[in-house]
Amino acid sequence: MYTAPKFKRQTLALACACAALFVGTEALAAGAAAAANAPRAGAPRAEVIHWWTSGGESAAVKQVAQAYRAAGGVWVDTAIAGGDQSRAVTVNRIVGGNPPTAAQFNTSKQFFDIIEQGMLNNVDDVARAQNWDKLLPEPIVSVIKVDGHYYAVPLNIHMQTWIWYSKAAFQKAGIAKEPASVPEFFAALDKLKAAGIVPLAHGGQAWQETILFSAMLANLGGKDLYLKVLRERDPKAIASPAFRNVLLAYKRLQSYVDARSPGRNWNDATAMLISGKAGMQIMGDWAKGEFTAAKQVPEQQFGCIAGLAPNAPYLMQGDVFVFPKTRNAQAVQAQKLLASVVVAPNTQLAFSKLKGSVPVRTDVDASQADACAQKGIAIMKDRSRHLGVSEVYLTPDQNGALQDVLTAYWNTNMTVEKAQKNIAAALSE
Amino acid sequence: MSRPIRAVTPYAALLPMALTVIVAYLGTMAWTLRTSFTASRTFPSDKFIGMTQYERLFDNERWMLSLNNLALYGLLFILACLVIGFLLAVFIDQNVSGEGVLRTVFLYPYAMSFVATGLVWQWLLTPGTGIDGAIASMGFPDFVFDWIVDQDMAIYTIVIATVWQSAGLVMALMLAGLRGIDGDIWKAARLDGIPTWRVYVSIIVPMLWPTVATVFLLLATSVVKLYDAVVAMTQGGPGTASEVPAKFIMDHLFLRSNIGLASAGAIMLLVPVVALLAPYAYARSRSGRERGRA
Amino acid sequence: MMAQTALSTPAVHVPAAARPRRRHFTPARIGIYVFLFGAALFFLMPLYVMIVTSLKGMDEIRAGSILALPGAWTVEPWRQAWSEVCTGASCEGIRGGFWNSVRITLPSTILPILIGAINGYALSFWRPRGANLLFGVLLAGAFIPVQVMIYPLVRLLAGAGIFGSLPAIVLVHLVFGMPVMTLLFRNYYASLPQELFHAARIDGGGFWRIFLHVVLPLSTPIIVVAAIMQVTGVWNDYILGLVFAGRDNLPMTVQLNNVINTTTGTRLYNVNMAATILTALVPLALYFFSGRWFVRGIAAGAVKG
Repeated sequence: MYTAPKFKRQTLALACACAALFVGTEALAAGAAAAANAPRAGAPRAEVIHWWTSGGESAAVKQVAQAYRAAGGVWVDTAIAGGDQSRAVTVNRIVGGNPPTAAQFNTSKQFFDIIEQGMLNNVDDVARAQNWDKLLPEPIVSVIKVDGHYYAVPLNIHMQTWIWYSKAAFQKAGIAKEPASVPEFFAALDKLKAAGIVPLAHGGQAWQETILFSAMLANLGGKDLYLKVLRERDPKAIASPAFRNVLLAYKRLQSYVDARSPGRNWNDATAMLISGKAGMQIMGDWAKGEFTAAKQVPEQQFGCIAGLAPNAPYLMQGDVFVFPKTRNAQAVQAQKLLASVVVAPNTQLAFSKLKGSVPVRTDVDASQADACAQKGIAIMKDRSRHLGVSEVYLTPDQNGALQDVLTAYWNTNMTVEKAQKNIAAALSE
Repeated sequence: MSRPIRAVTPYAALLPMALTVIVAYLGTMAWTLRTSFTASRTFPSDKFIGMTQYERLFDNERWMLSLNNLALYGLLFILACLVIGFLLAVFIDQNVSGEGVLRTVFLYPYAMSFVATGLVWQWLLTPGTGIDGAIASMGFPDFVFDWIVDQDMAIYTIVIATVWQSAGLVMALMLAGLRGIDGDIWKAARLDGIPTWRVYVSIIVPMLWPTVATVFLLLATSVVKLYDAVVAMTQGGPGTASEVPAKFIMDHLFLRSNIGLASAGAIMLLVPVVALLAPYAYARSRSGRERGRA
Repeated sequence: MMAQTALSTPAVHVPAAARPRRRHFTPARIGIYVFLFGAALFFLMPLYVMIVTSLKGMDEIRAGSILALPGAWTVEPWRQAWSEVCTGASCEGIRGGFWNSVRITLPSTILPILIGAINGYALSFWRPRGANLLFGVLLAGAFIPVQVMIYPLVRLLAGAGIFGSLPAIVLVHLVFGMPVMTLLFRNYYASLPQELFHAARIDGGGFWRIFLHVVLPLSTPIIVVAAIMQVTGVWNDYILGLVFAGRDNLPMTVQLNNVINTTTGTRLYNVNMAATILTALVPLALYFFSGRWFVRGIAAGAVKG
């Protein structure tokens, strides 16, 4: 009968020893962790899941963490890059019975299903005490207030369709003043093209194409058409000639982007502006971070245009914290504390300054903000210009289906009539 | 050992596998099937809507395109990996110097997270600033390689990057198979005066058949599950040109909170797999039984 | 059949001397080296870009060509990747997850390999009734994208009370690793001669005895391949560790992903590349050092008859 040679037995013995050592250290580590995590009496402990992982975003969320600590709480950070992954972990942990104290979502309908299942705590006390109905813009309230209860606390407002431009490129193309209407905008693009500069820096990803579309819908179509299409999902509005023109203008933008745009990341497109290779980019206000990192200053090396009409809509998107349902008294206390800390004016200012967004409350002191943020804050004071981005009005599925049509229309020879038809189908459920 | 104990032991040893199959796999397949007949969004719901999700699926241009892409991709990917992996293994097996280094060179792509390597491939294949720019500057100014921004060719760039990632593993498996072949074969072949290439074609390759079967199955699983590479390189673009079923399913599972449609997609993906595997499994179990009697 | 009789002894790798030796430079030999060299160039190109990018400053990357050597060399990105880059509110680089990854990978490799070997052994030599059907379903399961199975598994593990812990993630890796591991071992054992098995049974060996003393010692090449696949798969796994391991056990890939995949934040490509290479060092080391087991065949002293 075959017997194992000596070295095989030695290997086996070594493996067993390693395993024993491993299990032993595991037990020790588990014990230590348990001791460390023993709840400290009193201090409200908040574990927060979010997806702010880059340098600028990290600094911003640290401001919230510091404010929370200053208010007496303990902040436990669980950062997971990628919005959809972060939200997936949140949902799975809620389902698995191990929910975080708070979790980040976008100002959107992403968490409506969770509310429907009764899996979120509300923060009505804080909301009523601070009069959120009056304090916050209407698009935000429409998303966080469901059936009369407030289920999320907003952190910031990003504007999705800022038009950034490189001053050097404008000078080279002979554009003397900022375009202030849609025809002037296209004229500027033509001038840039004639000067041999890439007129529109664009990254060929579905969400970026949606931004271009939203910019055209808001600026060319106007607030009424925008709401009819995206909020009411009115088939007549979608089939209307006005909407057709919006789609044509959107597709016209494609003639101004360079051939290498497909797949490009948004910050690589911004880099084209920074180096003067491109003239304009339509992107959210997070693009400021790229300019700042390259040591460029607003109104000096680059400029920012909020809209192509004196009262162009201000397209708002943003981030909120939701509070998974828990009966643990300490956790509930932590949730309420976090909600009130987040909306406090100081936290709002500190967070938005580093994040590139504007605060959700209109009663803050804007003097510290940079030129572009100040423009944004000033516009925010005019409630008639408040509008939400598509995900504020559409469910994630409808929004995704809309994006599919928009990116297909951009990239293929789809006729505008077919695009209208497909959009109507996408928004019909 | 007494007979009863010996008869039971194999069954007992297979208990973990049985549990895993029944609870984890069959259970999940059943749950997915059930969900595909409901109107579930973020959470599973009990609202049964029959075949509506499947109708939506086949009305969806993106899904149909993804199936098409998968077939194209699968064919090319498996073929390229098999051929390149086999050639690499055979050549390395020829007593070349620096075998250890070479083996690591071909295997290292498998170790790297595709999130970053996918981005690098995107850079390399971007027209103008990638490889074609370098070749152009070397004296071929008209050379353009713009597959990655082309609607029809984008899926092939994914073939290139994933073959780069997986061919090394195929090589490793083939090498293990090759080295497991008895050296006496070579001796006998030399005695018989058969040229080396002929030995490979007529004797070695047929003997490697179990290895090839293993490799084929492994590659097939990674074809069906293709997701990371597409997300990292093209995000399914330009537009939806390089969309694949697994990405479609994933997008609807998480991003679009529509697990009903995602489940329908997952079941549709599973159906051809089962259809192909069942005869394969049946054939193998028959040949196995015959071998056992030998 | 000639092949069968030649294999009456179990597959032993005969030392190099018996194989066709051609040390002189025939055209065929040159052709081999040319092919290998060309292939090596293709395979190394992305690594070159990654290393070169990781040694440049961001301005150079924004402005310059990806294939160019760094104008101003810097190892800052590497330092940042390891200990400084922000992965959330904490900015401590990717080193935090290193030990978590080790603690997850070790049991998640050993257990699936062991069970895969036992499964493959039982399937190919003992063939109990219904086992092939089970194996067929297991194999079909290998084609299901992992994410589809997450929700049911979350419910299962939550019901068992272990969701969000180390045992949970090891169990999950076992479930997902089992199809491939079983396939590897089963097909490998199927290529071993049945006479070996019959002889051992005649000698009076039982299930475990034959496994430990006859089959396992012959399994070195496939164990190495299995280890390579499982270690790589578990070490680079992201989504399973993220969902099932629990906050205190998050693997290194979560930090790596946090560094690379920011949605609207600035991207530091040089740090990303450095972080990716750092994360890949463990599987790479395994590949490199597995050489001596890999394919030198079965250990000296393998049975003959």
